[in-house]
Formats: sequence, C-alpha cells, structure tokens
Amino acid sequence: MDFRPVMAGLAPLRSRGRLLRPTAALLILTGALLSCGQPHDAPATVSPAAPPAVTYESHLLAGEAPVPGASLTNPHAGDAAVARSGAALFTAMNCDGCHGTDGTGWVGPNLGDGRWRYGRADGEIFSSIYYGRPHGMPAFGAALGADGVWTLVTYLRTLPAPADVPTESWQD
Amino acid sequence: MRFRRALASMWLTAAVLCGNCVQAGPSAAPGEGEWTMPSKDFAATRYSTLADINRQNASSLHPVWTFSSGVLGGHEGQPLVVGDTMYVVTPWPNVLYAFDLTREGYPLRWKYRPEVDANALGVACCDSVNRGAFYADGKIVYNLLDGHTVAVDARTGRELWKVQIATLGNGETTTMAPLVVRDRIIVGAAGGEFGIYGWLKALDLSNGHTVWSASNLGPDEEMGIRADTFRPPYDQGANLGTQSWGNDSWRTGGAPVWGWMSYDPDLDLVYYGTGNPSPYNAEQRPGDNKWSTSVLARHPGDGALVWAYQFTPHDNWDYDATGAMVLADLVVAGRPVKALVHFDKNGFAYTLDRVTGRLLVAQPFIPLNWAQSVDLNSGRPVLNPAKQTGVSNGNVKNICPSLEGGVSPASPPAYSPRTHLFYTSTSNLCMDYAVRHARHLKGTPFVGVVSPYSAGPGGYLGSFLAWDAATGRKVWENREPFPNWSGALVTAGDVVFYGTLDGWFKSADARSGRVLSKFKVGSGVVGNPITYRGPDGRQYVAVYAGFGGDWALIAGDARSDDPTDVRAPAEPTTQIARHTSMGGMVWIFAR
Ligand code: HEC
Repeated sequence: MDFRPVMAGLAPLRSRGRLLRPTAALLILTGALLSCGQPHDAPATVSPAAPPAVTYESHLLAGEAPVPGASLTNPHAGDAAVARSGAALFTAMNCDGCHGTDGTGWVGPNLGDGRWRYGRADGEIFSSIYYGRPHGMPAFGAALGADGVWTLVTYLRTLPAPADVPTESWQD
Repeated sequence: MRFRRALASMWLTAAVLCGNCVQAGPSAAPGEGEWTMPSKDFAATRYSTLADINRQNASSLHPVWTFSSGVLGGHEGQPLVVGDTMYVVTPWPNVLYAFDLTREGYPLRWKYRPEVDANALGVACCDSVNRGAFYADGKIVYNLLDGHTVAVDARTGRELWKVQIATLGNGETTTMAPLVVRDRIIVGAAGGEFGIYGWLKALDLSNGHTVWSASNLGPDEEMGIRADTFRPPYDQGANLGTQSWGNDSWRTGGAPVWGWMSYDPDLDLVYYGTGNPSPYNAEQRPGDNKWSTSVLARHPGDGALVWAYQFTPHDNWDYDATGAMVLADLVVAGRPVKALVHFDKNGFAYTLDRVTGRLLVAQPFIPLNWAQSVDLNSGRPVLNPAKQTGVSNGNVKNICPSLEGGVSPASPPAYSPRTHLFYTSTSNLCMDYAVRHARHLKGTPFVGVVSPYSAGPGGYLGSFLAWDAATGRKVWENREPFPNWSGALVTAGDVVFYGTLDGWFKSADARSGRVLSKFKVGSGVVGNPITYRGPDGRQYVAVYAGFGGDWALIAGDARSDDPTDVRAPAEPTTQIARHTSMGGMVWIFAR
C-alpha cells in the first residue's frame, strides 16, 4: 500500500534538505566509517548516488551489512526544562487527543510504557513525529519544526514506564 | 415494512425452486425471513415476525456455526441475510464476506477485500468499527473507514463502484451503515472529535455520484433549509445554524453523523441524529449550537430539512444524539401518534411526534444529574447548574451519565409491536470533566478533555431494560456487571436477544426479562443480533462477538496483539480483561 501521510494542519512538509539543515550539527555522519567497516562478504556497496539517509537502530539488516547513513541525536536529551515545555506542547498540539492524557494510550499507542513500535532511539521517535506513521500518526514536521519535535521527544523520554502492566493478575 | 406470512412463504417456495440462485431475494420484496437492512426495517424496529424460537423453547438455544472474521477491531453492526446468502462486513480493513447458507459449514461464495487507507486508524475517534451494510437492487452497499462508499455485486462480489464521500485529512471517517431509500443512498461522516463540518449526503445507487449534500450546521442554504418547507417545532428564526454559535464556531462545529437512520415512506422523511458539537470546551462556542446533538428530518429526494429538534442545547458533556430513531405508532395519553423514540446519550428517553417533531415524553432511563427534567412546553432540558462544564468551571466532578452515554449510540434498541415495549442496553457510569481551550489543527483531535469515569449510583455498570415509551416508564431491567454495549433484537416469539461486554449472548422473555439462555461467545459483544429463516426452513439467530469500540481503548489491557502497546486497566472496568479480549467472530444459534 502506498504511504499517504495525514499532515497535521495540512501544511506540506519541508523538504528533507531543510529538515536536516537545522539539525546538521547534531548528525553523527557515519557513512565514511561504514564504508571501510563493512564485512568482506557484504554485497556490493550502495551506489554513491544513493540519497543521504537516516539510519534506524531498530531495523534488521540484510546480510548484517550496516546501511550508510546518519543517526539523529537529540540536542535536548535529559534537559528537564525542555521536557516540561514538551509536556505543554503535547496537549497544545492535540497529541493527547489520540494518545490519551499523559500519553497513556487511546487510538494511538501508549507512549509511556517503555515499548516502541518503531524503535526506542531518540532519532526513531523523532521520525515518528516528524514524518508520521502510516497507521494514522500525522506528520507534524511542518507544524512543529525540528526543534519542536525534539522538545516532544525529550518529554516522551521522561514518561515513567509503569512496573505492573505486562503481566496481569486478578484477585477476587 | 413487515410482510405477511403468506407472502414470505411464497417467497421461500420460490427460493427452493430456484435452488442455488442467490438473487432469489433481491428482485422480490424482502421476506420476513430475511434481514436486508441494518435495522431490519425502515422503522428501525429490529423486530422480526419469526416465532419458531419463542419464550417456551428458547432455553434450548445453542450455537450451530462460528466463523473467525480474522479482524480484531470492535465488531459493531450486524450481518445481512439476503436469499440464501449471509453477508458480513468487518471493522477496518472492511472485508466483506458472503457465506453460502445452502451448504454444510456455510462455505464462502466470495470475499471482497477493498483497499482502505490505514491512516483512518488514527482519525477514527474510537476504534476501527463498521456498523454494517445495506442490501438494495442486487448490491451490497457499505462505507469503508477511510471515507469511501462501495457497491458490490451481491451475487459475484465484484466491485461495481467506489466513491470518495469524506476526507480523512479533515478529520472525517465513515463508520455508519448507509440507508437506501428508492435510488438514493444516504450517508454521513464521523468526526465530532476533529471539528469537522458535519453533513448528510445522498448518492445515486447506480453509480455513487452525489445527488445532494446538506450540512447539519451553518447557513440555511447549506443546510437545505427553505422558508416554505422548514417547520421546526420550537425554534424560530433564520440561520440558526450560524446564529446559535458564537465566534463563528460553527465552521469547525462537528455535528457528525455516524449512527442509525430510519425512514417513514408515508411522510417521505428520513430521520437521523447528529453528534456532539466541537470542541468539548463549550465556552468556545457560546449558544445552542444548532443542529448538533439533534434529530433532523429530511426529504430523501432533495435533502430539504423539514424539522429538527435538539436534545441537548449547548452540549457540555459530549452527549451525541446519533443513536437510533425508532418509528412506532403508539397511543400517548389516549391519543394515537406517529411516534419517534430515541434513547439519548444524555440519559433521557424521548418520545416525539414524528410528523411535527414536538416532544411528547422525556424521562430518564438511567440515573442522571446534568439536568432535572425536560420541559415539555419548550422542549428544553431544565439544567443542573452545578454540572455545567467549560474552562472557567475547572474540573467538574461526578456528572452522570458519562460521555459514554446512558446508552452507546452504537447499540440500537428494538421495538415489539406485540409487547409495545422498547428494549435497550444501558451504561451506568459517571465522570469528572475538565476541559481546556482547544486548538483546531486539521488532522488532529479538537477535543481537550480529561474525563475519568466511575460507577454510577447503585454500583452496577450497565443493564438491559424494557421501556414503555408511551408513559416513559421502565418495565423491567437486567443489571449487568459491565456497561452493556450490544444492540437489541426482539421477535414475535416474545424473545429478546442481547450480548454483554464480558462476552455472554443472552435470550430473555420479552415480557418479564427472565433470562432463557446464555452462552459465552469468546469475546465481548458490541454488535447487534439478527434473526432469519435459513434455506432449510429453520429460524436462526446470528450475532458478532468482538470486543471493541471505546472499550478497546478504555479497558486498556483487553488487547493482546501488540507487544509495543501495553496499558493499565482503567477504572471502573478494571476486571473486564479477565473475561474477554479482542477478536471478531460470527456466531449462529438455533434451537
Ligand atoms: C490523529 C491521531 C494522532 C495524533 C494527533 C498524534 N498521534 Fe502519534 N500516533 C498515532 C497512531 C495511530 C500511531 C501508530 C501509527 C502506526 O503504527 O503506524 C502513532 C504513533 C506515534 C509514535 C510512535 C510510537 C511507537 O510506539 O513507536 C509516536 C512517538 C507518536 N505517535 C507521538 C505523537 C506526538 C508527540 C503527537 C503530537 C505532536 C502525536 N503522536 C499525535 C495517532 C496520533
């Protein structure tokens, strides 16, 4: 099925180039590293014409060959003040309407259970919010900009995963 | 729309002669043994004249067939039986199955799998539900979650046409079952949680083209209001659909359509209810907010609005009025009336004159406290000032019923002309309600509420009850441990059928409520039972199991398919996942 993102606010997303520019300083460019670090039996290297890509830690690698690309790093990681703005943004941008109060889950998955459908790395959570996901997660890249999305990632990281959810037990 | 026995048996003979002919029913008038439209008949009674299963023998009811739909979402809606074929529509991805009822094990004749945009899963407010199909003119017509209507050849399963009627990016999804009147398909869209601009459309049955479209709010000309045809019983004035919305809030005012419709052929009127006004913070939309949370009566030919009545002016509590509008001829205070009966989310059951829209009876069918009563002269609720919400009122505690409603609009009632009683599921929940100023951002919810629930007075969470709509009186009630979320079926055998959220399918004596049979159907029931006569001449009862709707979201831990989404059980239904998890199944019972 083709991927037709729902766009929050109906504003078209900025091009990838413009996305990466504000965060360029935060990219750890791993391309060069990877090209010499590939296993000897890896298939032919990716064409140099391949577009710059973001790598996803959660992905399986065919032939165990790492894909050249960059991983995104959260400029605000662990910053409590930014996390507090992120909490405000979470309601101001109507995230709670789909993910529930405090992100505990509604039509969108629980964001506070410590488990991630699309990977737990900050960059993967960034991608979910910036570009959207095909089962109904709108793309907020244009509505929020990269820094707004990082602010939300920083907040989501502070949600405490409840200890007692994965196994249910009932007493009479 | 009920047919005499002689007619039906004639049709049955024809069906036998024609053997494997699936089209037996189509060109003929629908027989009493068929179930060709969502609510059984245009009056939306969900009453069947079949009586082989009756209060003497229903205790022997037992399952004779089951089929996994392969889909986990909430299985609202009901199967259709046309000729010797049963049709089943699943929640997203909206698969349509056609079962051959003439062969052992009811193998499939065909299966239709439309392409449906998965993004609809985020935009549909409350699970991926579908409320069923309508059979007309050899076609099965239904809505896909992502804003499309399709017509499928009932015999071959071939797609005849597919049209887009709603726009996901605007917050519109399509969960309701269509109503077909003559060559018009009447449809609407959900989206009261996304600030849509609610509407009703008529499509041409032969090709799906839009014949007319009328909004449920906004300027008169967009609403299909003309001075010579619009006669509302209580409200006077032009452009009420804009005048009753401060700050131009009608433009994003919601008033969606996602419930059940009915039709009176003599008056040539289609009746349907509208959902909540958007957003939940009522202070952003000062005024009555017409015609949200209302019943509207339109001519199917051109969409002209003839009358409208608002159950909950300036809704503060998400009390959608999308529940069924059941048409019955009753005697109210000694006078015969063409009545319309509606169990509203707000907890009152309303009996209206369906010719004029005037209110005749309004009484609570469950405990409620947002209003004291409904004034029959003005048609307006007498409000309880302590239960008004809005940003300036902060967190308002203990409002009854909760925003799940005294009954879910997804759970339609039934009416028996033999007992003169209506039968409905109920939910007995209360809520706290704290809203904030909501920001409208297309493609995201326009809601802004925190609203935890608690058990209603009496400590039970729901029930199934019988109601005398002529007097506004409860006749009997079976309490259930959880909110009851299934539709009702009643038959000439004086048996009423319903399911429970914890997964029991029950039959009960329609006169006393005494439970005659019960069977655990594998998952909670949020669908609606039907009955039909099979090609073998026997009476069957069919129902979906398939826990879902709001409960799939609230109950939290009732889902098991996604290891990356685990949720704590929610008050006050913390025990529900002990009794059910999600999973769609079609059940057929016989005696
Ligand atoms: C219209 C409903 C909707 C809105 C609004 C919404 N989400 Fe989502 N979100 C979803 C759905 C549905 C998914 C699952 C998508 C999928 O699996 O394809 C999701 C997925 C996600 C994920 C990935 C979760 C995982 O387990 O990997 C993140 C992170 C996320 N959303 C964050 C947000 C944030 C932050 C906001 C507000 C800026 C937001 N969402 C607004 C519906 C929504």
